[in-house]
Amino acid sequence: MQDVRLRTGAATLLSLVAFYNIQGAVAASIWWLIFTPNFHLIQKNRLILPSVAMIGVFSVLLEVTGGEGISYFFRMMVVILISAWLLSGQKKGDFLHLGCWLFGSRTGFELGMLAEMALQNLTTLVSDFDRIRAAERMKGVRSGIRSIVPIGRVLVHSTILRAEDTAELLAIRGYVRGGTFVCAFTHGRGDYIAAFFALCVSVIAIIPVSAFFILS
Amino acid sequence: MTRLVLDEVVAIREGWRLAAQGTFDEGVHLISGDVGSGKSTLALLMAGLLPATSGSVKWEQCSSQMVSFQFPECHITGTTVREECESWGLDPSTILPSTGLSGKGDADPFCLSRGELKRLHLACVLARPYDLLILDEPFSSLDAREKLRTCNILSGRSRGITILFTHEQAILPHVGHIWEIRKGRLEYCGSPPEGLRNWQHAPPLIRKLIAEGKTPQNISPDALKEAACRT
Repeated sequence: MQDVRLRTGAATLLSLVAFYNIQGAVAASIWWLIFTPNFHLIQKNRLILPSVAMIGVFSVLLEVTGGEGISYFFRMMVVILISAWLLSGQKKGDFLHLGCWLFGSRTGFELGMLAEMALQNLTTLVSDFDRIRAAERMKGVRSGIRSIVPIGRVLVHSTILRAEDTAELLAIRGYVRGGTFVCAFTHGRGDYIAAFFALCVSVIAIIPVSAFFILS
Repeated sequence: MTRLVLDEVVAIREGWRLAAQGTFDEGVHLISGDVGSGKSTLALLMAGLLPATSGSVKWEQCSSQMVSFQFPECHITGTTVREECESWGLDPSTILPSTGLSGKGDADPFCLSRGELKRLHLACVLARPYDLLILDEPFSSLDAREKLRTCNILSGRSRGITILFTHEQAILPHVGHIWEIRKGRLEYCGSPPEGLRNWQHAPPLIRKLIAEGKTPQNISPDALKEAACRT
């Protein structure tokens, strides 16, 4: 799906529906299997499996403490898969286009720029993580909990430094608020069909089955 | 004898390609290239930290290796400067005085200035006799005096392979071989002084000396001074 408006709209709707109930999660996962490159996404995105593992830990804790851990795990897993699909099609500037289209050239520009910066930072964090792990391995530090703490320190420190640098750069360039931006969007062949079915999935998942069928 | 062999190594990313072929014997090798030409990628490939798209990297009789990344923060594992030295298996009482950080043993490494941190990091890296030492931009964040001190240490490395990736144009160590990345390919320029004539990324001073017929014997400050004073 090339159009960022349809992609973000569909992803938001499907994520909400998937989190809302199990039926929604099942319906969203079927949509994910049909309309996305599905398992190729999992191979390409290195953040999916660690995210699922983290959710898994919380789910086990929830289940053990009497909550609905299994249901939570499944619903969250679908949300993660939908998010991975959303980000996989992301091109530079997409959120800026979307932000300005939604909220105009002041608030929209700000929100779009923030989203773009966050995405850029996510990519940098992944490459920083690889570099820090490589440096640790060369130093003879073994993988494990003890190696996570220094990695976290370096990542937090470098992220804060980068944020400061970006803020200074914006201030030096005279940035105060908002900006001029001409929104442009491209459509793929199946964009509207996929978006339509995302809407259908959401409606079916939210509205009780009895509203559609006469059940005895 | 330690040896690093790049056997038709190719790295490809979106709209970008780097090809490298060559053998790196013991000694100091300098690799230069434009910004974005792939120096850091090549450093990672040479260390085996990044898989090549095709071709292979072979290490012969190489039992220890280290890559010094451009940003020294990546290497920090200690919560104090003293701990950081110890994490390299080194005695802080010998490292800290040599870096001018004697009074900062209990400081958080992240509270050091970029120059101080680079100094500390290089002191730790250069204190150990690695078979393969790859330094990515080792002179960034250093002042002229520290660059000179680092060059003296590098020039004095008697064993192993030392590979420098740098943009430095003024203060360089005595090197055995010069390489450069041109149009997406690693090219061997040769050993100084002959290799200096093929070096397209040579600093302006070296180019000027060559043009005047005073080709320096090497690229260290002493060699350049000798060539400049030659009559």
